[in-house]
Amino acid sequence: MKRKVAIRGFEVVAVLLTFLFIFYPANAKAQRPIKVGVIDTYAGPPATFANDALNGFKLALNEINKKGVLGTKIEFTTRDDKWKVDVGLSMAKELVMRENVDLIVGTINSSVTMAISDYMKGEKVPFIVWISKSERITGEKGHRYVFSTGENTAMAGKAGGVALAKKPYVKYWIAGDDYEYGHAIANAIWRNLKAKKPSVEKIGETWWKTGEPDLVPYLTSVMASKPDALIVCGGGATMTNSLKACKTTGIHQKIPVFMHTATDHAVLKPLGLEAAPEGVMGTMDYHFYFPETTANKAFVKAFQDAYGAPPGFPAFHGYITAHFIAEAFRKAGAVDKEKFINALEGLVIDSPAGKLEMRKCDHQAVLPMYLGVTKKVPQYNHLISGNIVTITGKDVMPSCEEIMKARGK
Amino acid sequence: MFNEVIRLKWFGPSIVIFLVLFILPSFIPRFYTYILALIYVTSLLAMSLNLVVGHGGMFQFHHGVFYGVGAYTVALMLTKTSLPMWTGFIAGPIVAAIIGFIIGWFCVRLTRLYFGMLQISLGSLIWAIVLRWYSFTGGDDGIHGVPIAPFLSSLNSSYYFILIVLVICLIVMYLILKSPFGNTLQAIRDNPQRCEAIGINVRRHQLIAIVIATFFGGLAGVLFVVLERSVFTDMLFWVLSLEIFIMCLLGGWFTFVGPIFGAAIIVALRTFVSIFTEYWTLILGVILILIIFFLPEGVMGYFQEIFKPRTKETVKEGTK
Amino acid sequence: MDFSAFSSQFLVGLSRAMILFVVCAGLSFVLGVLRVPNIAHGSLYMIGAFATFTLSKLIGGSAGFWIALILAPLLVALISLIAERALFCHLYQREHLMLLLFTFALMLIIGDLVKIVWGAEYRSVSAPPLLKGTVSLFGASLPRYNLFLIIIGPLVAIALWLFTNKTKIGKISRAAAVDREMVGVLGINVSWVFAVAFVIGCYLAGVGGALITPTVSITLGMDHSLIIEAFLIVIIGGLGNMWGALVGSLIFGVTQSLGVLIWPQFTIVFPYVAVVVVLLLRPKGLLKAVW
Repeated sequence: MKRKVAIRGFEVVAVLLTFLFIFYPANAKAQRPIKVGVIDTYAGPPATFANDALNGFKLALNEINKKGVLGTKIEFTTRDDKWKVDVGLSMAKELVMRENVDLIVGTINSSVTMAISDYMKGEKVPFIVWISKSERITGEKGHRYVFSTGENTAMAGKAGGVALAKKPYVKYWIAGDDYEYGHAIANAIWRNLKAKKPSVEKIGETWWKTGEPDLVPYLTSVMASKPDALIVCGGGATMTNSLKACKTTGIHQKIPVFMHTATDHAVLKPLGLEAAPEGVMGTMDYHFYFPETTANKAFVKAFQDAYGAPPGFPAFHGYITAHFIAEAFRKAGAVDKEKFINALEGLVIDSPAGKLEMRKCDHQAVLPMYLGVTKKVPQYNHLISGNIVTITGKDVMPSCEEIMKARGK
Repeated sequence: MFNEVIRLKWFGPSIVIFLVLFILPSFIPRFYTYILALIYVTSLLAMSLNLVVGHGGMFQFHHGVFYGVGAYTVALMLTKTSLPMWTGFIAGPIVAAIIGFIIGWFCVRLTRLYFGMLQISLGSLIWAIVLRWYSFTGGDDGIHGVPIAPFLSSLNSSYYFILIVLVICLIVMYLILKSPFGNTLQAIRDNPQRCEAIGINVRRHQLIAIVIATFFGGLAGVLFVVLERSVFTDMLFWVLSLEIFIMCLLGGWFTFVGPIFGAAIIVALRTFVSIFTEYWTLILGVILILIIFFLPEGVMGYFQEIFKPRTKETVKEGTK
Repeated sequence: MDFSAFSSQFLVGLSRAMILFVVCAGLSFVLGVLRVPNIAHGSLYMIGAFATFTLSKLIGGSAGFWIALILAPLLVALISLIAERALFCHLYQREHLMLLLFTFALMLIIGDLVKIVWGAEYRSVSAPPLLKGTVSLFGASLPRYNLFLIIIGPLVAIALWLFTNKTKIGKISRAAAVDREMVGVLGINVSWVFAVAFVIGCYLAGVGGALITPTVSITLGMDHSLIIEAFLIVIIGGLGNMWGALVGSLIFGVTQSLGVLIWPQFTIVFPYVAVVVVLLLRPKGLLKAVW
């Protein structure tokens, strides 16, 4: 009998909760603020990047909302896609249909990004990508409603190709994450390197499954083949794992290693001074310690005060995304999606890394790349990127003609 | 299982429910129409799995593969060839059923957990092929923006299409379970040794059940493409398969319509709880535990018990 | 391919197999005695890894890692004991698949709890000074830590063997795995036997999580990447058979690392192919299953 009562109680609560969830009204005010939907992966390994980007975005909105945009404020609401395409797509539909957002930003998973991008094209709602790095987002699959404020694989590859072409190495080995991102970076680097220096030779490739925790067996096998240099192409936790495996096997002392994003703070910080190898080459589009301008220092200080840690590259992307949005609405003069897009095309804003342009032809932000090597310095208890060489935005971007060719126009 | 009386009793309400669902899109916001359509697709998937899990007693651990194969087949046919859309819709479930036959042919040799694990391995091989074959399947990026004919592309038309297909499938599945074949299948679930002893070819029946289930699974994949116009490798990954399995358990896997409830609960929770908190899997976990403790027969099993307290349903002792 | 490359690859694979073995032995033990595929096993492994990080940071110094290596698995065991006594033990009379559902729910809950407690950042633990650097073995260079793992694996196996064969509770749990009704008839409290088995299984997951920390970065989602592999290993070895878990782990660890050497593009499919081959040739796994 007691159990029966419990069941009734449970039932009532369940029904009430269901109604609460389903019929909870989405905010609808008369003079409504500009509403931005944020979709990103707040679960699993990518969450570290997603949270960083969101913090950068929030920091910028605090600055922006002090002044206001078009007499109102920019508000945002977040959704977690769990790194799953179907969930991301549902969230995008929910934000557009139920929350009536003015635009969507975010996404780290390229597959999610492209699914949402395709949906946004049909709904005619702007979508700004801030971390996801596939070059197809603003390249081959680009369209009027999608923008990117992050670097992409084409840019990373061009930067890597430019950097490595100056080095004396001839026999290369390529290793990386066995998914689209890893292969895209590898192809882009190799394409650019081969174009700049035709004598280079690829003697082998190694691909491990994404999220493979222990990379020591892979690196020992590469070491046995004795290439002149090793290019590692991966993202997220793989970078930490591969740096750790470099240190364990000592491969970087025998064979020069190049990894895009090896010099990323989010990758180097958890390794501390002990587990990180020195002298690994890497490219990055943002460092909180470089460029050493007042604008960057001010941004880093504000961020550090607000969140207790220096900003990583996603925070930088989130920060400039918010400023691009605010500036575009101010320029457009109205909360209107089409006017917003017209205003955002070719828009130039001031950022911690100097003036940044949103290129009109492909909706890709023009970002510089910083080539450096991992290095110990006395003031930090983790490694940073040292001997930084800046590769300017226009050197790493594919030309508008290439983009139009990829889009088949 | 369902005697004639229950059948009569449920016939009227089913028609009413169907009619309500049919006119619903005119009254509710667009987003809820979409969520309902998504629930239908997921329901068909869970129902198809339940044919073998609940009614067949097999540990079909990697059903997602067939869903993905159906979806990929139609997506590839629509993007790479100029064949009419309908051929893709037919090819999807058929290819899924062929893959189901091949995988099932190996799996029926084993039982229970071994069956399930062999299926996970074989299914993962297909997943690996789809993941690795970049030039054909788009690899990890998936295929997005699958062209669907204009008359099906609006949300409401795809809603009606999915609803009608779902209802037809439910009727067909119900008839299959009521047929002599369905009865034999459930007898095999309850006591495979005895069935073997009286001369039933257990493996052949199980294989046929798998082929039927994978056909419907592939059809669910086709419906997913109609609704979302995207396919991606996660559809073939074991995590999704586990989720479908959970839907069957949650809804009540010894009942006919239980998986629909399971699918509706999971999809609704995922959508509406995640609006409020990023920790929605935590809440899902807690709710699951509450259900395990308070509704031991699953949600539908619970309702069945309420509605007919006197005629105690012959609940099976399970596959143990 | 020269011999030193082959042998170093083999040794690395062997060390990898040892961690897999520790985790899978726990999974197999629970599966054998309770007959529950514990989906939350990977989550407990993840807790073990995160706890090792926190404890070794907290204690600090060169001893930090060693103390964490002992304490973290105990913490995991404690958590599993609470989960078992508070919730799980009420379900033993239930439909079997409901237990599976319960462990799934547990996995969901632990996944988010770890995120609440530790946050989403990557964590890393470095090997203690004693185990840094590499050693030369059969002409191959092998990281010292991996050598340590190769030694620790058999020790765990022996300890487990002694436990199940020489202690009373071990013998009872082994008997419960074969025939639980009979154990109950003999007047033994089966519920407590199950609790002990569950906690020991989870403890081993914690040990595995603690052991792997110096070789990888500790992230959310490390439970997912492990759990399916662990199930496959347990199946090909023979359900509930500890030596089977060892054989299965060796097959996985070694084929994977040698696969890298021979056919790097297809390492992703090797484990699955191995399982298919084994199960088609020996439908009940390589060694004798307990049920």
